[in-house]
Amino acid sequence: MEQHLRILVVLPLYGGSLPIGRYCASALGELGHMVDVFEAPAFHEAHAALRGLRVAEDRMEQLENSFVNLLGQAIYARVEHFEPDLVLALAQAPMSRQLLQRLRREGVPSAMWFVEDYRVFSYWRVFAPLYDFFFVIQKEPFLSLLKEAGVPHAMYLPLAALPGFHRKVELTPEQRREYGADLSFLGAGYPNRRVAFRTLLRRDFKIWGSDWEGDELLAPRVQRRGARISAEESVLVYNAAKINLNLHSSLEADKLVSGGDFVNPRTFELAAMGAFQLVDRRELMPELFRLDGDDAELSVFSSPEEMEAAIDFYLAHPEAREEIARRSRERVLAEHTYQQRMEALLGFIRSLRPDWPCPRAEHGWPEGMSGGMQEELTSLLTRLGLPNSASFDEVIARLRNQSGELESLEAGLLFLDEWRKQYS
Amino acid sequence: MTKRLVVQLARFGDIVQSKRLILSLRREGDVHLCVDRSLAALARLVYPDCVIHALPAHGCDARTVLEEGRAVFEHLRSEHFAEVYALNNAGLCKAVASLFPPEVVRGYPVRGGQALRCRWIRMAFRWMAERRRSPLNLADFWASLAPVPISPALVNPPAVPGGKGLGIVLAGQVRRRSPSPDALALLTRIQAEKLGRAGKCPVYLLGTSKEHSAARDLMARLPGTVVERCLDLTGKTDWAALQDILAGLDVLLSPDTGTAHLAAHLGVPVLGLFCSSAWVWETGPYGVGHTVLQADLPCAPCAESSPCPKNAPCRAAFTDPALLAYLAGRGKTERRFPRHVRILHGTFDEMGQTWREEGGDSPDHDAPLRKALRDQLAEYLGLGTTHGSDAAAALYRETDWILPPIRP
Repeated sequence: MEQHLRILVVLPLYGGSLPIGRYCASALGELGHMVDVFEAPAFHEAHAALRGLRVAEDRMEQLENSFVNLLGQAIYARVEHFEPDLVLALAQAPMSRQLLQRLRREGVPSAMWFVEDYRVFSYWRVFAPLYDFFFVIQKEPFLSLLKEAGVPHAMYLPLAALPGFHRKVELTPEQRREYGADLSFLGAGYPNRRVAFRTLLRRDFKIWGSDWEGDELLAPRVQRRGARISAEESVLVYNAAKINLNLHSSLEADKLVSGGDFVNPRTFELAAMGAFQLVDRRELMPELFRLDGDDAELSVFSSPEEMEAAIDFYLAHPEAREEIARRSRERVLAEHTYQQRMEALLGFIRSLRPDWPCPRAEHGWPEGMSGGMQEELTSLLTRLGLPNSASFDEVIARLRNQSGELESLEAGLLFLDEWRKQYS
Repeated sequence: MTKRLVVQLARFGDIVQSKRLILSLRREGDVHLCVDRSLAALARLVYPDCVIHALPAHGCDARTVLEEGRAVFEHLRSEHFAEVYALNNAGLCKAVASLFPPEVVRGYPVRGGQALRCRWIRMAFRWMAERRRSPLNLADFWASLAPVPISPALVNPPAVPGGKGLGIVLAGQVRRRSPSPDALALLTRIQAEKLGRAGKCPVYLLGTSKEHSAARDLMARLPGTVVERCLDLTGKTDWAALQDILAGLDVLLSPDTGTAHLAAHLGVPVLGLFCSSAWVWETGPYGVGHTVLQADLPCAPCAESSPCPKNAPCRAAFTDPALLAYLAGRGKTERRFPRHVRILHGTFDEMGQTWREEGGDSPDHDAPLRKALRDQLAEYLGLGTTHGSDAAAALYRETDWILPPIRP
């Protein structure tokens, strides 16, 4: 890593891009960058309360606009305080137009990883041109449309896994009873999935996740009455199934295998865990995984019939499941981690802005520190997860993000920082 | 069979204009329709395959509203609808929506006592702020709440003359939305004489009993040769009789009225006379084979709730000699078009109803943005991809991509 950056990661209030934002923040931290996370989900309940006010709809919309503006101001306040080199927002992050314009005016680089299908979320047209860098999970024609819409710096950045989180887990007997199944699916009840899964009802099949209401046939298979499953628990679900079905979502019930382009996060996550999956073929999959031959890294299907045949085969051949799962895990760990994605993202920005990040007026460590103090500092850096080369300002920024009572050395460093502000 | 409910508590024309939505839902299962009880018979005529729930919503006393309304609500609750389409931005409709879990309500759901607008409705309020650029017909707007709307061509039969004469609708609910008496008389005379050339065709004067005097006034302005063919049916037709009269007409001359929409439903060609707040791109008769004369002054379309400071000059725009010449069949050869009236013919694209302008000396400056908005809506609905327009900024707000959606 060339340089430790300060990166403000702005999470969305809710939704599928939220865990991805958290994985990005973790990965950036693991790469040694100083990461501040704007925890928009903490405001989710406030918004829910707003929507429960029982006022006229016009007034509600005004309040929601004000709420969004307030979040924008809160993010800007974090920017002022943290002085990031980059504001990285995930799809649905509360980045208002006003905030983005202000960041641009003040020279704070902004980036979005739009981990959504541009065909479904067509509002990208409004905000994409306001970001300095725009990362997407689809290629053409999206990249051309972005250019046409005034987004010069866009890059394809496929999804990934976080190996420290998406890992193989030894399940307890209780967990195996609860989560175990021949077949398992975790995800929302999109129309194509509802229809495709009807043929699996005679099998040992568990469905996890939300939005399955109103389907009487599948209802007995839906676990916990369709409650949302946390990212932590999803690891247990995936690890427990013999076969994890991974059918990309589609709003079209008459086309069960949509044959779309982008590859969903579940593909990478399952692979990273060494969990076996049957996944529908996607246009962008062959450049991410080997799909054919004896050394295939994924088992794919292109139709419900192929899916059923593959289920029969792989249930009867556990060794084949293990072999493919092993290869897909190796591929993900080698090429498809969030750390690698974040390096690619930062590399793209560096390639376009050679003078980025702007040099800071760094405060150095006090000269002539005693050996004992230096040793204490070294152990503090270790405790904070910072390299020995970390600067005084990096340590101060990290300390300001700590909660709870400080040690005397930590308080001493903050005191020195304040003293310097007052007298330098 | 899955059951769905459409709550349509607005007026005559709105019930007919809900047709594309209702037919789209009917393809997927049973459809129930909740309407004001004064319009239940009409609803049964237009939607014979639907179950009609007659709710005392308009023109009745408080006790009836409460006692009979409650019984209807009890019935609606017991039906366990898979989806409910609440279509009206009105307290009455939202009160009905509050009977159902918000997750199943499209349009205007109510959650915990808070009335909400789904994203599609919110977007509509944004484009309605600039009505001149309205990109979507009301029937298509409602139909787009359905998961898969049927093809626009399947909604109404193509309109063709039926050989049974001329219909004249004397006034809409709001007089300001109708042509001036002089204009109506001139247009009636031209149409009657055109049809009269092929033989003695009757001229039916249509309206409620409130329009008796307007019928007399019109006949007083018409030549005897036309008056003798006039049948004043104002106040004399129930819904079934109105449908019988309309069916097979050669043409119906009408402002923006429910009767015009009923004629379109039957495949009767409508010659629409749109002025004041009536705007063809919003509520023009649905289908192909209809023509609308849209009075287009710089102030159009206005809000009929505010008094017109100029005494509604748009009502008289239909007396333009160039327009009369055109209607008499001479305009095409003389290549002259009226100054403040656009001549528009109904057609379709994949979104639904649209309008092709014939001739015209004054360019429609709003047409490019109307088209851009329409393209953007098509993209939103998954019907295409737009290229390089700023229309998205007029349709989307931060709340769309930041806050949890209210479906769809």
